[in-house]
Amino acid sequence: MKQVWNIFRKDARRHWPEIAVSLVALAGFAWLDIRDWSHTDSFAATGFSILIASRFLPGLVDALLPISWMFLIVRVVQSESLVGDRQFWITRPYDWKQLIAAKALFMLVFINLPFFIMDIFLLSRAGFHPAHHLIGLLWMQLMWILFLFLSAAALATVAKNIPQMLLVVLLIALYMIGMVALSQVIPSADAPSGGDSWSALLLIGTALAVIFLQYSRRKVALSRWLIVGFCALMIVMMVATPYRSLVARAYPNGNLPVQLALVPAVTHDSGSHSIYDGRVPISFPVSVSGLPLDSFLQLNGMIVTLTNADGFRWDSGWRGQALSLFPDQKKANIGFDLKQNIFDRLKSAPVTVHLLLAFTLFHSRNQREFTVPSGEFAWPDVGLCFSEGGYWNRVRCRVPLRKPTAVLISSETAASTCPPVRTSTPPKPGVFAHGTVWGDSEPAEMGISPVHEVDIYLSDWDTSDSNATYPGICPGTPLILSTPEMVGRSRLELDFENLSLAEYGIGSGTGRVVIRP
Amino acid sequence: MTSAIQTDILVKKFRRVDALQGLTLNVPQGAVYALVGPNGAGKTTAIKILMNIIRATSGRAEVLGTDSSQIRGRLLEPIGYVSENQEMPEWMTVDSLLNYLRPFYPTWDTNLEAELIKQFDLPRNRKLRHLSRGMRMKAALASSLAYHPRLIVLDEPFTGLDPLVRDELIQGLLDRAEESTIFVSSHDLAEIETFASHVAYLEEGKLRFAEELTTLANRFRDVELTFDAPPSLPQKTPDNWLQLSTSAAVVRFTDSSFASERTGADIRAVFGEPRNVTFSPMSLRSIFLAMAKSGRNSA
Repeated sequence: MKQVWNIFRKDARRHWPEIAVSLVALAGFAWLDIRDWSHTDSFAATGFSILIASRFLPGLVDALLPISWMFLIVRVVQSESLVGDRQFWITRPYDWKQLIAAKALFMLVFINLPFFIMDIFLLSRAGFHPAHHLIGLLWMQLMWILFLFLSAAALATVAKNIPQMLLVVLLIALYMIGMVALSQVIPSADAPSGGDSWSALLLIGTALAVIFLQYSRRKVALSRWLIVGFCALMIVMMVATPYRSLVARAYPNGNLPVQLALVPAVTHDSGSHSIYDGRVPISFPVSVSGLPLDSFLQLNGMIVTLTNADGFRWDSGWRGQALSLFPDQKKANIGFDLKQNIFDRLKSAPVTVHLLLAFTLFHSRNQREFTVPSGEFAWPDVGLCFSEGGYWNRVRCRVPLRKPTAVLISSETAASTCPPVRTSTPPKPGVFAHGTVWGDSEPAEMGISPVHEVDIYLSDWDTSDSNATYPGICPGTPLILSTPEMVGRSRLELDFENLSLAEYGIGSGTGRVVIRP
Repeated sequence: MTSAIQTDILVKKFRRVDALQGLTLNVPQGAVYALVGPNGAGKTTAIKILMNIIRATSGRAEVLGTDSSQIRGRLLEPIGYVSENQEMPEWMTVDSLLNYLRPFYPTWDTNLEAELIKQFDLPRNRKLRHLSRGMRMKAALASSLAYHPRLIVLDEPFTGLDPLVRDELIQGLLDRAEESTIFVSSHDLAEIETFASHVAYLEEGKLRFAEELTTLANRFRDVELTFDAPPSLPQKTPDNWLQLSTSAAVVRFTDSSFASERTGADIRAVFGEPRNVTFSPMSLRSIFLAMAKSGRNSA
């Protein structure tokens, strides 16, 4: 223990400027975060307030704070550099376990502890009792340690100094860009494969192995090869994962209590189509029926295959979705996009469409009624909320640590207490609008702030043109809340023959649009 | 006498370069052992293996009875190491360096520390980065002597130092010589000669010889033979005669195995009876020059 304390004190003396910078960044983050969710603006329209309002300053601090932590970690690890054979400390009686402990203590005291204290402060300022959220707060710290601090420390052990470390960071940035580019060309690379958990475990394992190898034996070459091996393994995992088989296994072909049928498309005027970033959005309107009253479906993702008479085949690969289908819902739109050149090739002749839709079926449990109060109110199991008027007529909530795992909100559109919008048609009685909130099942979301904002709004999908409208939640609006309980996952496969794709391209009107005949 | 350092056929290869080619050494406890040789001979490589800074390709080394590849942590407590190219914590003052290192050594002697500071005239509150090269070496040495190490390992400690600083360093070492074994590498032969008890000569990774300095000095002689007429050089001479040369009626060579009677007999066997024979003791520098030159010639 004597060495731990001795090395810790030395590092604290040596790195006080870096510590001060990270603490200032932390204080700045806390100040900006409070301003963000308390929606206060005590400044006049000065240049400073414009910087805040434009999100430039908060964005800068959001990036600077983790960078200052990483820099501090790199500096403190490299105080006793593990690369090279000229460092004075390697011929001194350092106990490597105590050296690691000293570095860990430094990070805990000067990064995690202030971070933890700030989170307690933010939670309490946001109106939550920190003692009720201790596990979540500790979970956040653990996630930062496992996924960022540990990785930064591992990389610092194989780099001799800051220039070498910058080179390592540059190489990693290039690697990440390459991985993103690779994921774009591998169909279904973002399908639920369970690979993320393996990747996370491998990352932590590699980081720990490198740290222990370096501190116990200073095996620089082997440690660097371990890191390279990890990166190579990630590529292999991405390329070799049988995504389609995993999707098929995760979503077995079962009997879903729903019927979907294609609704004839409304032909677009002038046959023009929107093009967003060189991609044409396509929407298949479908009729929905057969869902039991106490159930609803969530579309998690889909795979679209288009084939024309020439034998040309286009496969979308896995496309993540977040579409809910409710029992009282009659119609829905299933949308995707495809590259403009593919669309041009397929639009003129009839195509065969195969849709693989991956659904999760939920039962609505624990139904209860709730009337939205005016002003700020505590929404049980959600957070502290207030009804936000204006265009959206939604409820905005501050939630501690994470969004609620699952909440289904329903309301009869005719019961909305929001002032009617002049252009909208009067709501019909018996028509319900729904909203959902989905959160992680972990104790906390990964992030710096423990206070998150959630917007709760309702969508009515049953209008004549199948486009969503927003009935609105205002003070006095009666809501029916329920807790979705997952029943199971299943896939539904649909085939549409002789379809004219041109009729299902979404017409121009918004966004960056190129009109094509 | 037991060994402070023992190496057995130590080999170190850096890709295609053979830095050490089967080094076998035995450094007795209490010795002031000098490892000498030209630049690139493998001295620093040998020391780094002894200190477990790098690993040997093959062979074995023991330091204070422990396999050198296991030397780390507490096993470094009885060892002091100073190198000319060591990266010191430049941001520390002399005082903070000593304060920092003190808890690492159970045998740290604060009185000795004060004595060394005084002896080396070290400015306590000056940062290492602001010290001259000589002062930095003295600070490094003070931080390596203050805990009464049983073994002091020095890698080229005198390189680039002015004579006054060198004398101070040597005196500092000699003051500790009774309680420690000193293993020092150097190519500064004149300095080594003043305080070493043993010497080993390393060249191109190979150990040319290793022995006590007094034995070495007794073994080597400059021999000068004067004849009445220029003698004819023989085809074959004893292997221990190095750098044989003639100038008119004078023949000169270095005898590396000098023994008065045997050398006289060898001379008479090769040349007959010379008019005059002179045997002159050699400095360490002359011995190494003779060794180095004969090595190159034979190569």
